[in-house]
Amino acid sequence: MQMLFYRWVWLTSFCLVCFSAKSQQENPVPQNILPYPIHSTVLKNGLQVVCIPYDSPGLVSFQIIMRVGSRDETESGKTGFAHFFEHMMFRGTKKYSKEAYDKVLKSVGASANANTWLDRTVYHMTGNAAMLETMFELESDRFMNLAYSEQDFKTEAGAVKGEYTKNFSSPFRRLDEKMNEVAFTKHTYSHTTMGYFKDIVDMPKQFDYSLKFFDRFYRPEYATLLVVGDAKPEEVTKLAEKYFGNWEHGKFSSKIPMEPEQEKIRFAHVAMEGVPPVLMFNYKTPSFNDKPEDVIALDVLMAVLFSEKSNIHKKLVITEQKARSLSSEVLFTRDPYVLSIEAVLKNKDQMFDVEYEIRKAIEKAAEDGVENNLLQEVKKRIRYSFSMGMNSPDAIANSMAYFIWVSADPQALNKAYALYEKVTLADLKRVAQTYLKPSKLTLSTVSPDSKSPFEK
Amino acid sequence: MIQAGKYLGSLLIIFLLSAGKSAAQEFVELPLPNSNQIVVKYMFRVGSIHDFAGKPGLNYLTAQVIAEGGTKRFSSSTLKDFIYPYAAEIGVTADKEVTTFTFRFPVDFAPQMFQVMSDLMHAPLFDESDFNRVRSNISNYLEESLRSANDEEFAKKYLETSLYQSSNFEHIPEGTISSLANMGLENIQSHFEKYYTASGLVIGIAGKYRPSFLDSLKKDAGKFPQKSPPSTSPGKPLFFNGGRLTVITRKDVPGAAISIGAVLPVTRKDDDFAALMVANSWFGEHRKSYSHLYQKIRSQRSMNYGDYSYIEYYHQGGSNMLPTPGFPRSNNYFSIWLRPVQTAKSLKSQYPEFDSLQTGHAHFAIRMALKEHLALVKNGLSKEDFELTRQFLRSYLKLYAQTPEKQLGFLLDSRFYGRKDYLKEMDSLLEKLTLEEVNAAIKKYLDINVWTIVIVTDESEGEMLAKSIVENKPSPMVYPEVLRSVLPGEILSEDKQTENFPFFIKFSKVIPHTDPFK
Repeated sequence: MQMLFYRWVWLTSFCLVCFSAKSQQENPVPQNILPYPIHSTVLKNGLQVVCIPYDSPGLVSFQIIMRVGSRDETESGKTGFAHFFEHMMFRGTKKYSKEAYDKVLKSVGASANANTWLDRTVYHMTGNAAMLETMFELESDRFMNLAYSEQDFKTEAGAVKGEYTKNFSSPFRRLDEKMNEVAFTKHTYSHTTMGYFKDIVDMPKQFDYSLKFFDRFYRPEYATLLVVGDAKPEEVTKLAEKYFGNWEHGKFSSKIPMEPEQEKIRFAHVAMEGVPPVLMFNYKTPSFNDKPEDVIALDVLMAVLFSEKSNIHKKLVITEQKARSLSSEVLFTRDPYVLSIEAVLKNKDQMFDVEYEIRKAIEKAAEDGVENNLLQEVKKRIRYSFSMGMNSPDAIANSMAYFIWVSADPQALNKAYALYEKVTLADLKRVAQTYLKPSKLTLSTVSPDSKSPFEK
Repeated sequence: MIQAGKYLGSLLIIFLLSAGKSAAQEFVELPLPNSNQIVVKYMFRVGSIHDFAGKPGLNYLTAQVIAEGGTKRFSSSTLKDFIYPYAAEIGVTADKEVTTFTFRFPVDFAPQMFQVMSDLMHAPLFDESDFNRVRSNISNYLEESLRSANDEEFAKKYLETSLYQSSNFEHIPEGTISSLANMGLENIQSHFEKYYTASGLVIGIAGKYRPSFLDSLKKDAGKFPQKSPPSTSPGKPLFFNGGRLTVITRKDVPGAAISIGAVLPVTRKDDDFAALMVANSWFGEHRKSYSHLYQKIRSQRSMNYGDYSYIEYYHQGGSNMLPTPGFPRSNNYFSIWLRPVQTAKSLKSQYPEFDSLQTGHAHFAIRMALKEHLALVKNGLSKEDFELTRQFLRSYLKLYAQTPEKQLGFLLDSRFYGRKDYLKEMDSLLEKLTLEEVNAAIKKYLDINVWTIVIVTDESEGEMLAKSIVENKPSPMVYPEVLRSVLPGEILSEDKQTENFPFFIKFSKVIPHTDPFK
């Protein structure tokens, strides 16, 4: 029930799920970044089942990854609905009322929750491995037989409003909302996963639409079951067949409007007093599924240019101290999105200086390229960072889930790692020239000014 | 394993301490042969209670400058360059009584990282430029992040300040804006020399480390000054003979963030803590939809995003789903966290039927929480609730320490409380626990009638809200028609019983958001 904006370094290559026939595969190749075999199966109804045994005695992480998110909110007045629906998934079935569901979940002793984002909704529970069958039974019941009253529906809408309300004091949340609205004119990425406040206020009136939403998207072809930890793959497949085998395949597919090519710079601004000024560069990036090599090269380039190791970071944050922080982020999404280079400033009067420094670093990378030693160090860091991070069932499941929701391919994590290894200096120069152009930029700001200081 | 030692050249000399004071450091070892990393933690027995008069925030600043600074060998910038390719991490948590540095690095970077750790722990650089940068960022956190952009954390921090008024537990570890402005590099250097000694130091290591690495670490630990810093006891909270309310106001706040608390004379060192864990988990387990408060306020009434209770400090509950080690304390408090409920201004903007509303849902939400708390004290838990909650906790506690870093952190916390492995020991206590013991602990420790309440809300309702609470005015729950029309009679009837629930405030104030931590 928490909406998270994952800002991870990892991405995946695209591979369609084949659901016409049952298949079983295993990939224990030692060179893989993930040093554990990934067992995957696709049931006849299209449901993908993935299991990674991991040495965590008595502990298992169970996730259900639904490839539906705010990207699928194509109808007017329905922004935020994927996230709202995630809340409704906790409101019970005929067999397990909300209270009964809670009681069984409590007996499992699990940490359980869910979150929604642009391209997906993830339901997760981590707990006692001996209770894995109970987890399967509980989850299959609500994913196949969800049934809530109109009263529950209307009541839950207030919790979503509460979530929006708690986020409101953050300037970063407000800037995200504004930036998305400006950077996208047609595509559904124009609204955040939380949705517009007016649509949230209207949610209690959308009971009938919620039934339609469930019927459309909560189908096996949208889902992957992922189990990591103290579990056996054959046992997991058996449980999946027993509890999810009768889940009926659906018929719906979202028609997402394509975003037209951006032709000139845009400005997004939030006027706020009493908070640190923020400057954010948002360049359009390709969909990961279309151009995984380019997205990965952009990710590496951002680390080379703006990480703690970079010259500009040393200059702006450590030496001159014009910026309190400087960071970058490349998200891996199903459709073209934006990358972010974000500076939190000490003083709004330094906005132009900092903008100049960031722009100059980008232009230099496009013209002259970057140094090879930096590229090698970034690659090395990515490798170490990832392998050290894989130290719990939760951490492995979260990384796997990210790749699965973007690509639906359980092997995508390892494939992506292989792509990171292949990035060259020429790749970095090429992606800088192709994507980091003023015409693809939305320049986003938070300051007390009534309008963007950069907009003439 | 306990070691007292001093490294001199290549010799390890065991010596007895003078003046009869113990200045020994303790080692906690957690070998994990299948791991690919090493975690080392240094938990110093120094915290914000050691900030000397007029310098709140001194220890926090000292710790942050060390963690973000350099060594005699590396400037802060070159140190970052050095560890960058290996994704090694250096972090610190600086709380009221302990300060813990954490180093995490891959196994094959161990020799290089050993030198970094040793240099940073024994001889940090304390560079003027690092000092200015870190100080400015902490000050800005107080001024523009905490007070203006995170109402929930703001209310929680201010609650702590109120609970421990006039003691060395009063100020938050980050200090105040004016105090930070008056600190110089010499202050943190002198604080470091005085307090970062072997006295009370616990060093922990987890992961796949070689025996020789552990030996080196132990020898290196002998270099910490074998002296005891000036003795400082954690201050005890004052007794207040009446409830206290602070309403903090700001512009454009759509939801009132609420924190309620009272001091609690139990910590993890006490066996009764296990009984309170069960009671608290049933009443308000953090981020759990099956907790009682959550069901009453969020699930049944649609008032906010969540409602929880705590029997100890919970670090950054807004972002952490599970507890974080590194914050053990001698003083404790019970608290209730109500996530933002709608202000009158926000409700008016959404529904025409609320045109004449003067205050939003805050007063009713507090009443509901305190009424349910009273019912807990009066009725205790049922046998069924007790059994289920205990079963839940015995599994759930295992999730606290899923990574080597967390495992080691909780082991270090355990030492603070005089325990060896707090999580395992709590499990044993839970196993033996009875319903009668839980209900007795509720009556003994949670029978609270003097509350401290902090609300951060919109400036348009601050005064009216405070008046409504202080005067115990009725606070009928108002629902938009679209929701009210489907709510069952028992909810509306319970609302009626709640709208006049009395709780008494003797001391109240309404202050602008710029007042605290200035």
